[in-house]
Amino acid sequence: MNSIIEVKNFSKTYGDFKAVNDISFEVEEGTIFAFLGPNGAGKSTTINTLCTIFEKTSGTLLIDGKDVTTQKSEVRSAIGVVFQDSTLDTKMTIEENLKMHCVFYHVPKKEVEERIQFVLNLVDLVEERKKFVGALSGGMKRRVEIARGLIHYPKVLFLDEPTTGLDPQTRAHIWEYILKLQKERNITIFLTTHYMEEAEVCNKIAIIDGGKIVAHDTPYALKREFTKDKAFITTKDGTKLEQLLSEYNLNFVKKEGYYKVDAEPIDVLLQVISLQKEDITDIEIKKGTFNDVFLEITGKKIREES
Amino acid sequence: MSTIVALWKRGLKAFVRNRTGLIFSLIFPLFFVYVFGAIFKNDAIENPIAYMLSGVIITTVFENSLNLASTTVDDMVSGFMKEVLVSPAKRIEVAVGQLLSAATVSTLQGIMILVIGLFIGIKFTSWITPFYILISMICIGMVFSGVGLFMATKVRSGQTFQIIKTAVTMPLTFLSGAYIPLSMLPDLLKYVAYLNPMTYATAFFRMIVLEKINLSNAELVKEGLAIKINGLIITPAMSFLIIIMIGVIFIVLSTKSFVNTDFSRINRSSTDASALWG
Repeated sequence: MNSIIEVKNFSKTYGDFKAVNDISFEVEEGTIFAFLGPNGAGKSTTINTLCTIFEKTSGTLLIDGKDVTTQKSEVRSAIGVVFQDSTLDTKMTIEENLKMHCVFYHVPKKEVEERIQFVLNLVDLVEERKKFVGALSGGMKRRVEIARGLIHYPKVLFLDEPTTGLDPQTRAHIWEYILKLQKERNITIFLTTHYMEEAEVCNKIAIIDGGKIVAHDTPYALKREFTKDKAFITTKDGTKLEQLLSEYNLNFVKKEGYYKVDAEPIDVLLQVISLQKEDITDIEIKKGTFNDVFLEITGKKIREES
Repeated sequence: MSTIVALWKRGLKAFVRNRTGLIFSLIFPLFFVYVFGAIFKNDAIENPIAYMLSGVIITTVFENSLNLASTTVDDMVSGFMKEVLVSPAKRIEVAVGQLLSAATVSTLQGIMILVIGLFIGIKFTSWITPFYILISMICIGMVFSGVGLFMATKVRSGQTFQIIKTAVTMPLTFLSGAYIPLSMLPDLLKYVAYLNPMTYATAFFRMIVLEKINLSNAELVKEGLAIKINGLIITPAMSFLIIIMIGVIFIVLSTKSFVNTDFSRINRSSTDASALWG
């Protein structure tokens, strides 16, 4: 597989502030790549620089082999962008918005109608095509924007927090469209999000914090590396349990009424439990979540924006 | 080229669809014609309604072209401009499209008042007059679209922009001779009026509407259609030249400024434009 996005030693500074500090990564063609990070970590700066809106301070950024600084026009033709906030013309209909977009992206006139049908079908908005954008719900607007971002058949689709502020049902739908798209058209999707569960369906994840990439791998590998299953144990004899856990080198935290214990390696834990069978009244094992990965790596919780 | 046409059509569509705005854009100018026409009825002006109408038409073209071109700021806030700027469409075509659509819509508004004016006091004796009128409206529309777009690209804050826009258009309108003849202004304000490009636009346009092209300079000065600054007579033809020069300067400046503006400073998370250029 060849890399469609290549970023080498990219930095962006505002005065003394380093928004992005010397990051490098590659995205393979046809994959879904997620950029995770708390607010102000440098996610938007990176995405905006890749989209040719911001100017880099230093480094090399290539999309499909074209430089985002010197070959802006070529890069712009190769990408579709859905920004965090709506960039639709609310005084126009869905159809007019799409047609206008086709003009900006030099879509051949005789293909416009066919493509409008195709993208509206993809996001289930065929019936609404004559409706004014201003009258649509937030979820519908987002779908229109995804449709619009695709109509010029880009090689890479950038989605800056595509599901932020949407209800769970709409979020699920948007994800359906994204996955369908990647399968049908083999488009590379570069997205930022702060919903951890969304990151898990991606092929690769980069976690960015304080302008640096702090982890970059598949969701599975990250989870394996950074999370531990936990056991919540309630016992009648706390002192004995503490003693045993220390003896067998298992980390634990004493909580109100129970102990939170590392459940890995699992055979060691089972041994501890078997030695204290009579006193233990309750055990609950919890699998590590993606949120833990993030907490482990950045040491802070991702806050949800409103 | 197609980008220019698409943005031009967008401006026209927005104009046609905004019915309320359309009606109000007619009410105010006609109200001014009525009020000022009544005030000057007993004065030296021979046809006060036609005199006022010519001023009001050109003021309408001026105000609307400036306003419309500066709605580029609204397009920034609503986000639409971001969609345009991230596309392969050439920025210069985007700027030209915005300028042309503002000039066209403002000309259309001028024409609408002119048509009403034909029923209440304007009379043409020559068939060529309407063509002259149309050409001068388009020119003046372009000139002040340039000014509007230039202002829009220099905006630091959306709220102060509204105030600045009013602070610019109000004196330019009232010190142009469109409503109040320059001869009635105190000396100090007269000199301010001489620096006002709208003074020249108004004088030239009024001469065409009132069909006084063939008058001698002395007569033109007497009618307030040529401007006499300390013995130097600026004829309507010279006025037109001044306007065109100002127009060319601003159109070049605004397009350049639009192409070179660093849009990385746009802060879209803010709902109003105040944080836009921060």
